[in-house]
Amino acid sequence: MSMSRRGFVGSLAAGAGALSTATTEATTVEHFEGYPGRYGLLHDTTLCVGCRSCEVACAKVNALPEPEQPMGDLDVFEKLRRSTATAFTVVNRYQDGDGDEPPVYRKLQCMHCNEPCCATVCLVHAFTKTPEGPILYDPEVCIGCRYCIMACPYYALAYEYDNPIDPRVMRCTMCYPRIKEGLNPGCADACPAGAITFGRREDLIEVARDRIRKFPDRYINHVFGEYEFGGTSWLMLAGIPFRELDLEEGATHESLPAIGTSYLSVVPLIVTIYPGLLAGFYAFTKRKDKLAKAELEAALAEARAHGEEEAKAKLALAAERAKKDKEKAVETAVRKALAEQGEGGSS
Amino acid sequence: MSTATAHGERSGIFTPFNLIAGVILVGGAIILTIRFTTGLASTTNLSNTNPWGLWIGFDVMAGVALAAGGFVISSAVFLFGMKEYRPIVRPALLTGFLGYSLVVLGLLADLGRPWRLPYPFIKQAGPTSPLFEVSLCVALYLTVLFIETTPAVFEWLGLKIWRRLVGQLTIALTIFGVILSTMHQSTLGAMYMVTPTKLHPLWYSSQIPVQFFISAVAAGISMIIVEGWISHRAFHDQVQTSNDQFRDINFGLAKGAAVVLGTYFAVKLVALSLENEWRLLATGWGAWYLIELMGFVVLPCLLFTVAYREQRLGLVRLAAAMTVAGVVLNRFNVTFIAFNWKVPHSMRYAPAWTEVWVTVSLITLAVVVFRWIAHRMPIMYEHPDYPALH
Amino acid sequence: MYHTLFDFLTHTEGATYILIGVLLIGFIGFWRFLTERERGV
Repeated sequence: MSMSRRGFVGSLAAGAGALSTATTEATTVEHFEGYPGRYGLLHDTTLCVGCRSCEVACAKVNALPEPEQPMGDLDVFEKLRRSTATAFTVVNRYQDGDGDEPPVYRKLQCMHCNEPCCATVCLVHAFTKTPEGPILYDPEVCIGCRYCIMACPYYALAYEYDNPIDPRVMRCTMCYPRIKEGLNPGCADACPAGAITFGRREDLIEVARDRIRKFPDRYINHVFGEYEFGGTSWLMLAGIPFRELDLEEGATHESLPAIGTSYLSVVPLIVTIYPGLLAGFYAFTKRKDKLAKAELEAALAEARAHGEEEAKAKLALAAERAKKDKEKAVETAVRKALAEQGEGGSS
Repeated sequence: MSTATAHGERSGIFTPFNLIAGVILVGGAIILTIRFTTGLASTTNLSNTNPWGLWIGFDVMAGVALAAGGFVISSAVFLFGMKEYRPIVRPALLTGFLGYSLVVLGLLADLGRPWRLPYPFIKQAGPTSPLFEVSLCVALYLTVLFIETTPAVFEWLGLKIWRRLVGQLTIALTIFGVILSTMHQSTLGAMYMVTPTKLHPLWYSSQIPVQFFISAVAAGISMIIVEGWISHRAFHDQVQTSNDQFRDINFGLAKGAAVVLGTYFAVKLVALSLENEWRLLATGWGAWYLIELMGFVVLPCLLFTVAYREQRLGLVRLAAAMTVAGVVLNRFNVTFIAFNWKVPHSMRYAPAWTEVWVTVSLITLAVVVFRWIAHRMPIMYEHPDYPALH
Repeated sequence: MYHTLFDFLTHTEGATYILIGVLLIGFIGFWRFLTERERGV
């Protein structure tokens, strides 16, 4: 009955094998047994006759409108139904009776999982797993994101989509107020066929195993809900494979919360590692820029010094040339003057 | 009613763009009024089986991925010193800021009680929830983006001291932005780790957070290319970059996008390999998966590669558009196409026209605001009074 | 003592969020202290 928090997961029948990305594998694996002595319900689908008394009782106990389709209306089984915002539980027919085989019915409602998915994904902690077993929902904090509805593997939650002011998530409450008073949930009391038994979960598992032992031809050798996705409060027995009752077979024993939160251990690592890493990149960049700038300045200085020398040499050369030109000009002028003087003297 | 400007041109309020945008926005406002007065049922196809639809799939999931260009470009310029991309930092950050604003608006339309949005931080926290982490990061990141957009506003208003103050925060904000973006882009994917029975195994993976993050980088870069393509034409008179400079920027982005898409493809192959899902490719869903992977990841990767090698700008833009479409398609697949894949056909989800209209309204609003800001504030150019600090 | 993984995670992840917030702010101080010299102080 213990659930390992992080363990290696075998491949799922649905091909959804999720290898845990646990980056921190604890040396001691945490075990969470759940609240001791908590309640559960056993639904024996081989006993269910599809009378839907449970639907009527549930509506009465929770002050919901009576089921639209009255008891005795067999057309209701033509389509598979799910719970709605005004019907916490429904009964479906999964196999028509034919000849010897009786029809097979199953009651759907919130499974009150040991490790609730809905609670784990709720960003305002609107769900609580009580010590008695039922999961409670607090509409006072709910913001209506509907992640819980999206996550529930049993499609057990419904929403008041036509309510603009205070829409709530609607689901079976396992009649928590009645349990606190020592009463049974409404559906358990109402069932005339004994298909719903209320009691302590650990006891009900024994009861279920006992029934399988006593009537091996009647039951599939499996108590559904004992371990699936960490286990549920509603346990089920069936005479036909559970997949034909629209239940996921071969589901991992690892709870969905464990799978769904294994990634979250990476988040703190990002916050603790990125600052140093990114500041490091920034420092590298600044250093590269600084070095490049220094190199450029060195090259400029050299070019300037080199250029200064060249300029000086050029200047000296030009001065030399200018001097020579000047001397030549003076020489020419003097020769000319002397020549003129010689000519002037003869006349 | 048109007013003649000083130059004698006629500039009117009733341009074709404004008229169309106006009709879209008014229609969106009407639909949202109905939504808030009668409940989500009247304007959406959401159900108990499909509690999340187009508004989550596009406005939130795709919207966040497409707005990733902000942290990519700002980290490239400020942390990795790639100065040649300076001219597109402001447009990228503005696109990011408006993108994330669009995400929050879309969320407010979708939440059952949107006025309770701050509850996780002020009333009661659910720290086990990936959505808690996403909302915390998005709230913080929206703040970061807002502050990173204010330099342009302060320059426009001439508030020199504020401008200087905010400029000094650039590096710290950029680092914080990368931290926040890495976290929430990945965690948006991680939100689906809790639904192994509902998301088709080809899309479900323990590595979906990494896949979401890498595809977001590709989407961000591609959106910058698309946004630049439109802005360069629309704001031509303001743009200071030469045509060559602009082309170089685009080709640089194309090079980056090619590498990121190639990496994303490799990561997807690794996921298939680790979970030994090759035979699933031969199914109908496999074909659809291959369309997404080959047509919208591998093909744009090849197009970006060729475009960079041959320096063909048109090809860059085509690849960018395909990448954007591909990431949107991936988010749609994860949110409502490959999600609930086992549910009977009659209970599957398709968006209502009202949902589509509201989404288009939000996009239109973002475009209108972008235009308004870019026409007035130094986004497409550098204000002469404020030399670059870094 | 925690009876369920959910309760355990609620407490540990809540505490860890606060811890990383403190560490992040602490890093800023640490970095500024480390690079004081470069700012010409």
